[in-house]
Amino acid sequence: MMDSITQKAGIIAAAAFGAVLVSSAGFSVVSAQGLPEGFKKGDLAPEPSAEMIEAGKRVYFTKCVWCHGVDGAGDGPGADRLWPRPRNFNQGTFKIRHTASGELPLFDAKKPVAGQNDLFETVTHGLPGSAMPPWEGILSEEQRLQVLSFVTTQLVKDRKFTDKQSETQTVLQLADLKPKPATDESKKRGSELIVEKKCVECHGMEGRGDGNAFNLKDDWGFSIQPANWHKCWNFRGSRQDPYNVGNIFRTFSTGVNGTPMPSFADNTSVDERWDIANFVNSLCERDPLGNPLPIDPLTDKPKINFVIPSDQFEGEIPAEIEHEAWQKAPKRYVAMGGQITHKPRNFVNRIDDIWVRSLYNDKSIVYLIEWDDRTKSVAEGKLPWAPTQVNIDIKEQAPKTGEEESIAANQNKYDVYNDAIGIETAVKWKELPAPIKPRYLFGSNEQFPVDIVKWEADGSLRAFKGTGWDKDFEERDNYEESMKLLKSEWKNGRWYVMIQRPVGNKKDQDYDEDTFFEVGQYIPTVFFAWDGHNGDAGRKMAVSAFFYTFMNPPVPQETYIYPVVIAVGVVLLEGWVLTRRANRKKGKTL
Amino acid sequence: MKALMSLGALIGVAGILLLGGMVFDIVPSTTVRLVEGYMPIQMIVEVACYVVGFAGLSYILNAMGMAIPRFWQGIGFWVFFLMYLKFRVYPPIPFSVRAMYGTVALVTVFMWISANEEDWKKFKQPIMNVLDAQTGANRLLRYAYLVLIPILVGGFSFNAMMPKSEEPIELRTVHPAPPASTKVHGKTYVLQTSQNPYRVNPEGKYDQEFSNANIVEQSMGRLMKPNANPWDDKNQGYLKYVREGGEIFFQNCHFCHGDNLNGRGLHAFAFNPIPANFTDPGTIAQLQETFIFWRVSKGGIGLPNEGFPWASVMPPWEQHLTVDEIWKVILFEYWHTGYYPRTWD
Repeated sequence: MMDSITQKAGIIAAAAFGAVLVSSAGFSVVSAQGLPEGFKKGDLAPEPSAEMIEAGKRVYFTKCVWCHGVDGAGDGPGADRLWPRPRNFNQGTFKIRHTASGELPLFDAKKPVAGQNDLFETVTHGLPGSAMPPWEGILSEEQRLQVLSFVTTQLVKDRKFTDKQSETQTVLQLADLKPKPATDESKKRGSELIVEKKCVECHGMEGRGDGNAFNLKDDWGFSIQPANWHKCWNFRGSRQDPYNVGNIFRTFSTGVNGTPMPSFADNTSVDERWDIANFVNSLCERDPLGNPLPIDPLTDKPKINFVIPSDQFEGEIPAEIEHEAWQKAPKRYVAMGGQITHKPRNFVNRIDDIWVRSLYNDKSIVYLIEWDDRTKSVAEGKLPWAPTQVNIDIKEQAPKTGEEESIAANQNKYDVYNDAIGIETAVKWKELPAPIKPRYLFGSNEQFPVDIVKWEADGSLRAFKGTGWDKDFEERDNYEESMKLLKSEWKNGRWYVMIQRPVGNKKDQDYDEDTFFEVGQYIPTVFFAWDGHNGDAGRKMAVSAFFYTFMNPPVPQETYIYPVVIAVGVVLLEGWVLTRRANRKKGKTL
Repeated sequence: MKALMSLGALIGVAGILLLGGMVFDIVPSTTVRLVEGYMPIQMIVEVACYVVGFAGLSYILNAMGMAIPRFWQGIGFWVFFLMYLKFRVYPPIPFSVRAMYGTVALVTVFMWISANEEDWKKFKQPIMNVLDAQTGANRLLRYAYLVLIPILVGGFSFNAMMPKSEEPIELRTVHPAPPASTKVHGKTYVLQTSQNPYRVNPEGKYDQEFSNANIVEQSMGRLMKPNANPWDDKNQGYLKYVREGGEIFFQNCHFCHGDNLNGRGLHAFAFNPIPANFTDPGTIAQLQETFIFWRVSKGGIGLPNEGFPWASVMPPWEQHLTVDEIWKVILFEYWHTGYYPRTWD
């Protein structure tokens, strides 16, 4: 009811003043006071006290200066190796807000209230996907307010938080807007709206952030990527509550200042915004039952299970992901970090997770690996090095370069190589003395090498032997013939690669070079991923921690027999206890 | 006495309500934060408050003629403790540790209820009643137990025997014994006698007292002392090097060890175990600077076998940094966490 009134009012107002804001919806939704629906005028907060500012300076120079710099220009010692680059406070441009597009965020040094103090929430919860950590539990509430008092008054230089002449506050009333239930109907409407509102142009057809992936720049000219809707834990505005639809509603309503993400408040109704938010929220990865993934409170990313179970499959393993066996196979989240151990270190890894499933039969084991990569990268022409070469001429980002040569500025200047994925398993993993595991990058030494299977986007599937992080790979004789690439496809920002390799046996395979996969055993497994558009090649890549491949054995018969035996035993024991008690009582009464 | 006990009872009720709120996720368990480093003390104090509260509650109920039997008191307290560990403590502690604490708590409860013959009898009474099955309700209960226990035990053993793919447990030594000396960039450093060349006063002399006086304050936030800002251009000696060390830290180390040196850096989520937390009193606060020097220079690969080298991907930093840079980073780490390195004397 209210909605329709405001909508009508909006149409009348828009028509009367001729202030038609162009939108693909055809009309703008503006309330009678000229404010977008769901917004109200707010007051500027009073200036923080001088004591707060002074105390905040102390916090700033202990904790923040290292990235944000002495003048708050986002140019501290850590800045040049970071992407996204630390925020330059000077312009007063802040991303996550409850205020209308272009306005300063909410900040009141006396009001640390969720939903009413944007900067306080940013410091409290951090900005996931960037180097900004949550400061809750490290800095007290008071200290967080103090440091913000310092930043907003001393380091924001081009604007003034208290200047009534130039600043306004038009505040999204998120607390008063009841979220619309995420019904199928609402999500369906949302899925149509994201096309109509052209969200997909940047965020991609499946919302993996792959549209327009390399042409977007922020206000400072640094390359910027559209959010991947399937990884809500990486949303900057997720506030450590990634599956909360309100976050998406807020970002969509207010836009992200300093980036190409506009506010859609003027050309969508609140109702439409909820539909879109519900749809976007529904895309975030969930478990097979549709529940949100459990988030690890230590890392604010999905919890990791380090065992990759492989189910048994009778006969030829299917190459179609739609096949029932693949649909039933448990899917594991494999977190990927930059390879920052050996030169050239990869400080910015664009692939931060892969999803792995596995099936096996009596001859082979198949890994189905899926990962989001905004760009399909295939190197043009022949690569300047052999596939076995690891020690290649790739430079790592220098520590101090200034803005122009920083990692953020370099993002779309890299030579493009092949996207690739690697699976490393230990050879002779059973014979390793307990503390030794050849689970360093590419093997530890000659005695305990590793078996590496590497797929590249040019369609090649190769097998190598690795004997140490600083040694080039060694070719394997004939092994590649026994492997098979069942699938490799890039679609809407996601790779689907299915690799089949032999489980190994002493008759046909080389025990010294080949990992034997044994049923019911934990086989140390590491994954590598290369993003060609990130200039990834050789050791510049993303790596996982040490996972285990575990081929689920068929259930042994004893499992059904012993519990029955035990239960019968317990019944006998019960009989004995009762008889004893009864006898004793008899003895007493007698 | 009565007033005191009523107060206790009030605490007890409030405490139970709070815990209940946490169990059902109404009150977030982060309402009162357990601060790293002070966690054990905080927990002991809290549990002590609960015990006082329960004592008061039990007294009041007794006075009102609604005494809770010893049997239920014992079980109730044990259940309370398990719930406390599971729902109150944040960040959450793993099940294996909770099981250990739970066992200790069970033993404690047994000691409490069997402290004297009278109490023990009271505790045993309900069990005996069921065994003897004098009343109808007890007889029903006895039959229920007779049937349920074998089913449960059978079920559990079936579950335990089903092939599982749980992560194998691998224990590792956090601080393995260091070697007597280490060779970095061609020079041998004897761990017993080496010193951080940058722990110096403005005159350039090694000065532990001077540096200790200028580290951050060991309180919430661990902020720098008001007149000891490493970013002050006039600094000479210790604080100047702290700043240089900080620059190196934020160009190389924070990716894993985090902006607050708590092991939760940008890439930390991908590692297992996650990188070392220097703000934890169990890490650098327990070690000598020379140990850290060896550990940083040689990285995970340089660990002896008992340190499970594969469980640390820390690079041998000698490949990336000079000796001077390594010493400065170490200086910064102690400054930023507010800990004193251990010394040999």
